[in-house]
Amino acid sequence: MGSQASTLLRHEELEEIKKETGFSHSQIARLYKRFTSLDINGIGALSREDFLRIPELAINPLGDRIISAFFSEGEDEVNFRVFIRILAHFRPISDKENSKDAKGPEPLNSRSNKLRFAFQLYDLDKDDKISRSELIQVLRMMVGVNISEEQLGVMADRTIQEADEDGDGAISFTEFVKVFEKTGVEQKMSIQFLD
Amino acid sequence: MSLQSKGLEDEARGGRGRARSSCPRTGDRFGQRPSRKPDPKAKAAPGRCRAWPGGKERTVGSSRPGSPQRKQLERRRGHEELRGRERSSAGRIRDSRRKRDGRASLKEQSSSAEKKGLPRKEEAWEQLRKPRSLSLASSGSGGESLSEEELAQILEQVEEKKKLIATMRNKPWPMAKKLTELREAQEFVEKYEGALGKGKGKRLYAYRMLMAKKWVKFKRDFDNFKMQCIPWEMKIKDIESHFGSSVASYFIFLRWMYGVNLVLFGLIFGLVIIPEVLMGVPYGSIPRKTVPRAEQEKAMDFSVLWDFEGYIKYSALFYGYYNNQRTIGWLRYRLPMAYFMVGVSVFGYSLMIVIRSMASNSQGSTSEGESDNFTFSFKMFTSWDYLIGNSETADNKYASITTSFKESIVDEQESNKEENVHLTRFLRVLANFLIICCLCGSGYLIYFVVKRSQEFSKMQNVSWYERNEVEIVMSLLGMFCPPLFETIAALENYHPRIGLKWQLGRIFALFLGNLYTFLLALMDDVHLKLSKEETIKNITHWTLFNYYNSSGWNESVPRPPLHPADVPRGSCWETAVGIEFMRLTVSDMLVTYITILVGDFLRACFVRFMNHCWCWDLEAGFPSYAEFDISGNVLGLIFNQGMIWMGSFYAPGLVGINVLRLLTSMYFQCWAVMSSNVPHERVFKASRSNNFYMGLLLLVLFLSLLPVAYTIMSLPPSFDCGPFSGKNRMYDVLHETIENDFPTFLGKIFAFLANPGLIIPAILLMFLAIYYLNSVSKSLSRANAQLRKKIQALREVEKSHKSLKSKAMARDSGDTLESGSKNATQLQLNKEGATPHSASQSQSLDKKAQDPGTASSAASRTVPPASRSLPGSRPTGVRKDSGQARSQAHPWRSGSGKSAQRPHH
Repeated sequence: MGSQASTLLRHEELEEIKKETGFSHSQIARLYKRFTSLDINGIGALSREDFLRIPELAINPLGDRIISAFFSEGEDEVNFRVFIRILAHFRPISDKENSKDAKGPEPLNSRSNKLRFAFQLYDLDKDDKISRSELIQVLRMMVGVNISEEQLGVMADRTIQEADEDGDGAISFTEFVKVFEKTGVEQKMSIQFLD
Repeated sequence: MSLQSKGLEDEARGGRGRARSSCPRTGDRFGQRPSRKPDPKAKAAPGRCRAWPGGKERTVGSSRPGSPQRKQLERRRGHEELRGRERSSAGRIRDSRRKRDGRASLKEQSSSAEKKGLPRKEEAWEQLRKPRSLSLASSGSGGESLSEEELAQILEQVEEKKKLIATMRNKPWPMAKKLTELREAQEFVEKYEGALGKGKGKRLYAYRMLMAKKWVKFKRDFDNFKMQCIPWEMKIKDIESHFGSSVASYFIFLRWMYGVNLVLFGLIFGLVIIPEVLMGVPYGSIPRKTVPRAEQEKAMDFSVLWDFEGYIKYSALFYGYYNNQRTIGWLRYRLPMAYFMVGVSVFGYSLMIVIRSMASNSQGSTSEGESDNFTFSFKMFTSWDYLIGNSETADNKYASITTSFKESIVDEQESNKEENVHLTRFLRVLANFLIICCLCGSGYLIYFVVKRSQEFSKMQNVSWYERNEVEIVMSLLGMFCPPLFETIAALENYHPRIGLKWQLGRIFALFLGNLYTFLLALMDDVHLKLSKEETIKNITHWTLFNYYNSSGWNESVPRPPLHPADVPRGSCWETAVGIEFMRLTVSDMLVTYITILVGDFLRACFVRFMNHCWCWDLEAGFPSYAEFDISGNVLGLIFNQGMIWMGSFYAPGLVGINVLRLLTSMYFQCWAVMSSNVPHERVFKASRSNNFYMGLLLLVLFLSLLPVAYTIMSLPPSFDCGPFSGKNRMYDVLHETIENDFPTFLGKIFAFLANPGLIIPAILLMFLAIYYLNSVSKSLSRANAQLRKKIQALREVEKSHKSLKSKAMARDSGDTLESGSKNATQLQLNKEGATPHSASQSQSLDKKAQDPGTASSAASRTVPPASRSLPGSRPTGVRKDSGQARSQAHPWRSGSGKSAQRPHH
């Protein structure tokens, strides 16, 4: 398995991925295997349909948003580098990394990067703000037609009212961070990647 | 010289010890390091390298004479230090040792630099060292130590390379050099690490890793298993997701009750019923265990058994069956004593468990007050569980998210409601008046029926209805009053959660009235039976006396004893009471089930299938589907439990019946609620702790303790049935045991403890303690509330302040970029004004002066979103000056920007 990945991935590329994402060699190999198994067409890249075959994403009301997080603007496929970079957000933060190199660039799995990822799920138009209409859209995804538009509006208003600090009627990233100040985002937005 | 020899010994010992022990250990360490992250030992290894940087380079590169010895020396130090770390001795020792090492390596460096300048000194060194090298050679482990030396060398190099890899990023080298260096270092590490890791250490390590993984997996599986062992968890979750937490709280309560009853059942069955059945005198041997002659013909008829008469009455399910023998069987089991103690401990255990769960509930509620600020945000952003992969679970989750949104919307509407105060006040008074009328009416009705039933009981051959009139009327009242109350309560317009509490309180009053009238009637009956008992006792004695003494014709052969079925006997009021409770429980259960079947299921069927051919819309219109009646069900459960507590002393089998009842009711009600009920119009969230239910339960427990305690303490037990027959009072069994089975001094101690002179001060002391603890907890909670208020106020101030400021800023610069930059500046402000004192206002006022500057610089930093994905287009200057502010505000982007600069393929 490891040999497969290392034959398919060039050595220096592997090293770069390792450095960039903090995954270990075997983790990368495993993820690469996963990547190739998702990539049914065998073109070395994933399309939206490929992602939708994952049941967890298919039934997730926000699955569409998560999938979009993998695709940068205008692109309609994801190669392994992008794939693994997104996944690196969910790598648990170890104590070792907390202590060392404070001056280096922030690793992808830092607290604020994790939060940034979550924030982008809600920030539909990518203007660094969650507006009322965006909230309502997301709510609509989550509850379907069971709740009236008016009530959803009330919910969205309340949410903004709670989180909004500068009174601009939208939630910015800093405000978003503030909401999750006391929660263990580091633990909750982490997946134990197998070695 | 003595010093020198000591050193020699040291060296030899160190060398040999190393050859044996340290090699596999270091190999082991190498195997671990790359894969196990949070290993403190692994962290210690690079630290060791850093501790003596000078020495290492020399060991690698130097080839001058005498260097092996020096190497040896250094290595020994290294190992010493390593061992010191492994032992994790006090940090001070370690530090001092490191310092010493540092000093030593410095000295060596300087000595090598001065090598040529000061030959004499060097010679002195050589002289000092010569004997050592000799001794080392003579110790005989030449070849082994050599290879080991190599190993250690490689080890050190590998460590160094690893350190290099780790710190490569911070080196001020050009990229090409970094890459080549990196490649070299990594190749080296991979090559030699494998070589070092081979052998026993590696296998051991692999085994350990395997075991660790297995252990983690086992723990996970075990947790899953534990979750699966919680009974009905899935059912309840299912209901919760469709009907909301309030309906689920009933089922959780039911499950808890089932657990309590199982314990009581185990207690009673294990300590009373089973010993009696196994070791007691068998059925038919004595009068109390035999069906009387007059009843024998009908004793097996179903109609008789259904009323718990006949054979059931004379079975171990009831009090009267037990014999008053002090000890039974070869175990010499003291059954009367056990019976009494079990009766007491049923109450003791119930009290303890109710109070404990109340306490733990209230503890849980205080710790959660933290997140009140952001309820909606949390609901909005965190409600989906991203690991759900099963579509059925996902459906449930959808339903539960919808329900929880509805719940919070109800809360929201409730808090924003504007209302006509006078009208609501009037309506509430009216509603309470009506309900009090209802309660009085039902109380009178029960009183009337009970009176009538006492008359009926004096008459012979009464009909079935007349015999069961009390039960029927009580069941009917219990069925129709709660809906009536609910209708009236609609006038009051409370929040549904508060409305539920009122409703619970009212139905509680109704049920309590029913229960106590029932108890009073029962008490009358008991007193009647007690007054008759004396005459029956005389008759029995007289009969037996006559039977044995009237044998005029054959003196030589003793007459066979009178058949137990023929012995006249008393009415045994304890069994009668037990039977009453048994009947009430069973009829209550049946009424509940029939109500569910007819009121919910048939109604649902009717509405569902007749809707096609009906004049109006049945589903939306009049009958519609039933809602789950939380208050009625909860109170039904609580009062049923009260019956069990009261009755279990006189009918030990009652708990068994109740366990069955709860079990069936769990399945039946789960099915009914999912199949034929609809969620409440206004789904509301159950209060976090269901202490209200528990409080009611505690009250009922206390109320049911009273009559039992009264009968035990002040009524004489029947003379010819039950474990306490022949005693003056039931608790005499305690005196008897203390006197006969305990040493005398213990009896004295008990007598002393029972002295009122001791008990009254003890009670007083208890009251004082309760008062003190209560006042302490009150003051603490007050302080808690004040602190919370303070935090809230502070947040408000901060918020309004910021919104003001940002508005001012927006006015200053009409630019859209400007508003985007706000975040960055705000963050800075947050950081600097982090101390949330009142002084923060003045601080941030100072900051205001600097604002325009920071704002403009931040504006230049923010990159339009389109260019984010095109890393090449970003000018390096912008990236460089971005500094801290951007890495805080847009950390993800800076990370991605950097990574995107590298070629993709």
